[in-house]
Amino acid sequence: MIALTQTLILGVLAGAVYALMASGLTLIFGVMRVINIAHGAFAVLAAFLTYSLWSAFGLDPLLAIPFIMVVMFGIGWVVYQGAVRHSRGSHVSMTVLVTFGIALVLEGVMGIIWGNRSASIRTDYTDASVEVGPFFFPQVQLLAAAIAVVVLIALYFLLNKTWLGRAIRAASVNESGALLVGVSVAAVAALTFAIGIATLGAGGAMLGAIQPIVPGTHYQWIARLLAIIVLGGLGSLPGAVIGAMIIGVTEMLATTYVGSAWPVAVPFLIIFIVLIVRPQGIMGARLREDLVS
Amino acid sequence: MSDAAAKSVQDERRSRLIRNGVLAVLALIVVLFPLIGDASMENTMILALIFAIGASGLNIITGYTGYLSLSQGAFLGIGAYVAAILGRSMPDISPFVWMPVAGLTAALLAMLLGLVTYRSRGASFVIITIAFLFLVQFVATQWVPVTNGTAGITFPLPTWSNAVWGNWPFHLVLVGLLALSILVSWWVRRTKFGTGLIAIREDEGKAGSVGINAPIYKLLAFGLSALFVGMAGTVYGYYLSFVDPIGMFSILNSVVIVLAIILGGRGTLLGPVLGAFILVPVDAFANNYLGGGNIRLLVFGGLLVLLVVLLPKGIIPTVQLLLEKRRTKGTVGLTGSITALADRPLPPPREKLAPVGDTMLLQVTGLEKSFGALKAVDGCTFGVPEGSITALIGPNGSGKTTVFNLISGLMTPDAGEIVLDGERIEGLAPWGRAHRGIGRTFQMTRLFREMTVLENVVAPLRDFQFRQLGLGAVSGSEAEKAEEFLEFVGMQAYRDARAGSLSYGQQKLVELAQILVLDPKLIMLDEPAGGINPTLIERMGGLIRELNDQGKTFLLVEHNMPFVLGLCNPVRVLARGQVIAEGSPAEIQKDPLVLDAYLGDDYMLENRSGDGAAAKGEGR
Amino acid sequence: MAATRATRIAALTAGLSLLVGVSACATDSGGTTDDPIVIGASLPLTGEFSQGGLDTQQGYEVWVEMTNETGGILGRDVEIVIRDDATNQNTVVTNYNNLISVDDVDLLLGSQSSLLNIPASSVAERNEMVFVCPSCGSPDMFNRGFEFIFFSQQAVATDQARVFAEWIAALPEDQRPKTAAYPSLDDPFAGPVVDGAEAILSAAGIETVYKDIYPATTKNFDSIVAAIAASGAEMVVQGAQFEDGVNFVRSMNRAGYEPDILYQSSSPTYGQQYFDGVGEDNTQGVFFSSSYNSVASTPGNAEFVAKYEEMFGGIPPEDAADGFAAGEVLKAAAEAVGGIDDQRALADWIRANEVQTILGTLSWNENGSPKGDFLVGQWQDGSAQIVLPAEAATSETIFRWRGAAFE
Repeated sequence: MIALTQTLILGVLAGAVYALMASGLTLIFGVMRVINIAHGAFAVLAAFLTYSLWSAFGLDPLLAIPFIMVVMFGIGWVVYQGAVRHSRGSHVSMTVLVTFGIALVLEGVMGIIWGNRSASIRTDYTDASVEVGPFFFPQVQLLAAAIAVVVLIALYFLLNKTWLGRAIRAASVNESGALLVGVSVAAVAALTFAIGIATLGAGGAMLGAIQPIVPGTHYQWIARLLAIIVLGGLGSLPGAVIGAMIIGVTEMLATTYVGSAWPVAVPFLIIFIVLIVRPQGIMGARLREDLVS
Repeated sequence: MSDAAAKSVQDERRSRLIRNGVLAVLALIVVLFPLIGDASMENTMILALIFAIGASGLNIITGYTGYLSLSQGAFLGIGAYVAAILGRSMPDISPFVWMPVAGLTAALLAMLLGLVTYRSRGASFVIITIAFLFLVQFVATQWVPVTNGTAGITFPLPTWSNAVWGNWPFHLVLVGLLALSILVSWWVRRTKFGTGLIAIREDEGKAGSVGINAPIYKLLAFGLSALFVGMAGTVYGYYLSFVDPIGMFSILNSVVIVLAIILGGRGTLLGPVLGAFILVPVDAFANNYLGGGNIRLLVFGGLLVLLVVLLPKGIIPTVQLLLEKRRTKGTVGLTGSITALADRPLPPPREKLAPVGDTMLLQVTGLEKSFGALKAVDGCTFGVPEGSITALIGPNGSGKTTVFNLISGLMTPDAGEIVLDGERIEGLAPWGRAHRGIGRTFQMTRLFREMTVLENVVAPLRDFQFRQLGLGAVSGSEAEKAEEFLEFVGMQAYRDARAGSLSYGQQKLVELAQILVLDPKLIMLDEPAGGINPTLIERMGGLIRELNDQGKTFLLVEHNMPFVLGLCNPVRVLARGQVIAEGSPAEIQKDPLVLDAYLGDDYMLENRSGDGAAAKGEGR
Repeated sequence: MAATRATRIAALTAGLSLLVGVSACATDSGGTTDDPIVIGASLPLTGEFSQGGLDTQQGYEVWVEMTNETGGILGRDVEIVIRDDATNQNTVVTNYNNLISVDDVDLLLGSQSSLLNIPASSVAERNEMVFVCPSCGSPDMFNRGFEFIFFSQQAVATDQARVFAEWIAALPEDQRPKTAAYPSLDDPFAGPVVDGAEAILSAAGIETVYKDIYPATTKNFDSIVAAIAASGAEMVVQGAQFEDGVNFVRSMNRAGYEPDILYQSSSPTYGQQYFDGVGEDNTQGVFFSSSYNSVASTPGNAEFVAKYEEMFGGIPPEDAADGFAAGEVLKAAAEAVGGIDDQRALADWIRANEVQTILGTLSWNENGSPKGDFLVGQWQDGSAQIVLPAEAATSETIFRWRGAAFE
């Protein structure tokens, strides 16, 4: 029972960071129907930036978050304008290829800048825990989960309480309708992409604090993040949060009770099963292409 | 034949000769390559051949059928693993012997993937294929008793003398496989099967409604696409002398194959092969002279982005387009018109509309369909009498198109019964309904835009048989029949034009000819008179009447009231997803409920969103 | 077949080279004795195994530098051509083919990791070239009947932890752990190490309370560590590559789990990187198996360490030393045979002789696998020491993990 509870604690803590990282992916898909395969690579990039700030200036990774978010926002904007924008309107699988290409380019760039060795950030709280009775809560994960919740709430507020948020949601529901009421869909798409990458930046910064980073690990991240948003329902923010919790807990349970090889397969199995059995996921509406037939 | 025409035929013959000559020389160079190249060039050639076979196969599912798959590399690995596993238990047999087994295993697994993903499209499908690749890798890692886990399996070294034979056996086997693969691809493109695949790529929903059994087609396409790459996998593993989960199921292999298709030209016969023969040497070059791994990632990643953005069609189609432009420069474009249509006498308008019979060809009972909170069809009940021209009218947003989609099988009803000629059909797939005698057109025409008019008209299938898949796409009695129907609608002059280049009205006529090939009992037309000029409207009415005289039953959705009232009897009025009035045109015109439905202001508000969204099938 | 391939090529290229303008005479540069000896190797400088690949590259470069400073091989200078295979098997095969046929290298050195060396060694074997491999731990490499492949470390993976396990098994009852956990990376290098250790330890009566294999993609060890902590194991024997070993220790800290004895197969040999990754306090008392130690008094080691420090800075990591030793083996064979053209003679010599390297004395079985034993090392007060076997030990005391010394 203690082992089970401990596993659940770890799963939920991991899930919070996953949720933050997946929120950008689901947001980008919701607005522009682009599956951003480069999302994992952007996360690793943010982690490396955090690492550089920490190793060069001793800047604490969690304090670096606002800065990283701003930088990632800019990178997201540039990448959108330079590449993703041009694939809009073509077949959806073409956008997948474009973002896949971006992922490969990012991996190469990171390899050139930071080398293909792993880099890890160590602060005084990265290896410490808070102990409550028989359970332990890793400090860095507690902090990361707390920040994730804060950023997610901020994102929720942005989407639901501001004009920009309404414009984003309008563009995601009905593109021509949004145009009609004076929302520039092109500008909103670019902003959404940048915002999605910025929130991911916060997640990436924490990722750097939690575990060592290597450029080539982005495949794993994109698999996990895709599984989360597929499970939660493509385009749904609450769905992404729920999906992230489920994946986080399932991975931990699989490690403890099935075998430590299984967490790798969890995202892929979930993608496979969900897309076959219930393509709309938990919270998502059905897509047009799923609906016909 | 005019001089110009003769000259153009001559030109064409000459350019074909040149093209075939160039291809023959290239093929010879490829076959005899080990004589020319050193070991390193040979090695690059072998890898290029392997990826060319992979790309040529993937072209069937991605190029012809339109399903982008990132799992092609998995089938390469599966082929290698099959040979490695079998070779481990029988080490004295040459690994080449296992090629057919490897190919069939890969094909079967590909069909299994096709089976479980038959409902997925677009992005979902791409994601599933990525997941499949990683799951296969997971199985290869975990199924230790069979696959030896991460340690992998080694092949024996080739038994032939390296000094004498070098890589010739590898090379020749791969050349043979590539030739076979291209041959099959060429054959597929010429058959009904190939036309069906392209119809699926162009418009899968429409393909179903003209009787094409998409799941079976896709399943076969999946199998074929993996067959040769599975066999090539055996050679690949034997050549590398080692299989293991990380190397064999690297996603970069799949990326290179997909890139090859896009670079060379999706859906073209030789484009994918060309793509592979460009990419593999580029890869080798990047690795040897530009600094290796990270640069390769930049090259491949950058190529992916640039290709999709700048050259989405690929090399071969782009070159073809340029050549075409140069050749047709100065000559007149499409000739022919629908004047023929106007010349043909049509039956005169009837004095009295035919009386309504008692037998119902189609009976719909209690049909329901919701999109989220919106109840588009709510207990809809009506019948279409045999031999009648029945109209289904109603204000925008009343659910007419949704009812059409439910009857033709494009959507599944939440509840209710649909009976055609005494048989329940609501559980059948669209093609099943097409085979049983329902033919429909679409409000916005949905022809297969990249096909010619004639190809469009021969595409529909009245039933499904495996042997029919291998028949030539445009040939024999079917083609004759198709031409007859084209003549009937007055479009025979356009038989070789690309469907997408026709005007909207012309497309409507072709779509009508297209469904006539199905020899349907019930013809369902969604706004046949919408958006076309008055002369054409009149013609359309005439055609409908003539077909009706020949015994066809019609169900029409139409907004043009004079057209409806002059043509149809009986009329069913739909509002809020229910039939609120039925009867002859005269009765309907007097019905206060109908007036209310059309004039009630609550419908005005829904005009913009309701019917439009339902028609497109958007649930969000 | 009377005509050899070479004559057929000669006959046909004459015609074809006119046709396509490609001349492809594989000129056999017999070479004057002044020409440098060119050695070819492919290494994973990028991708998954780049950590070890880059270290091995440094080792090769130090060896080339030192060899040339001391007169080269057979009086000729040495040059090395290193290609990057990006941890990709296609590429490693392409690279060795290129090295042999385009660069026309005289001698080969191996790549990094069994995964890459298995296909690479096939290319060498088919071309009948000696393949001295710094990192071929997988036992599978040596049951293929190859004649030109040699592993230049002391033992294959299955025997890597033997000395350590036998020492634990021989501890007095009151000091010996009663339970042990065996987590391992799913890798042909790591899994067999742990299996080998477990066989010895469980035969000695130490109960196995946890055993599992985790995949290379595992980054978060919290739940694995939580499960091991719950099993109450007094000793942890981990088959670890690099990153996973570091992550594991950090997770143990977070979980507040502290077994008496911690053994990690490879991670702790990564020197400074391991030290930075887990932090100084946590290195104290970690056991590992090692082919090499920078303070060992093996012949030439002091010079190697000095040269490495000069060229790259810091203490040489194990993979660099392994790369260096591979070069030493090649050099010894070439000088003993007195030439480099007869590759079979080189192979026969290596098979029949011992070579003194900075790793110690190496010798080989008939199939090219090595006959020796690994050293057991331990981190003590911020540096890696050799503690076993006693004759090679650089430190007399042996510690528990972050705890007291054994008596």
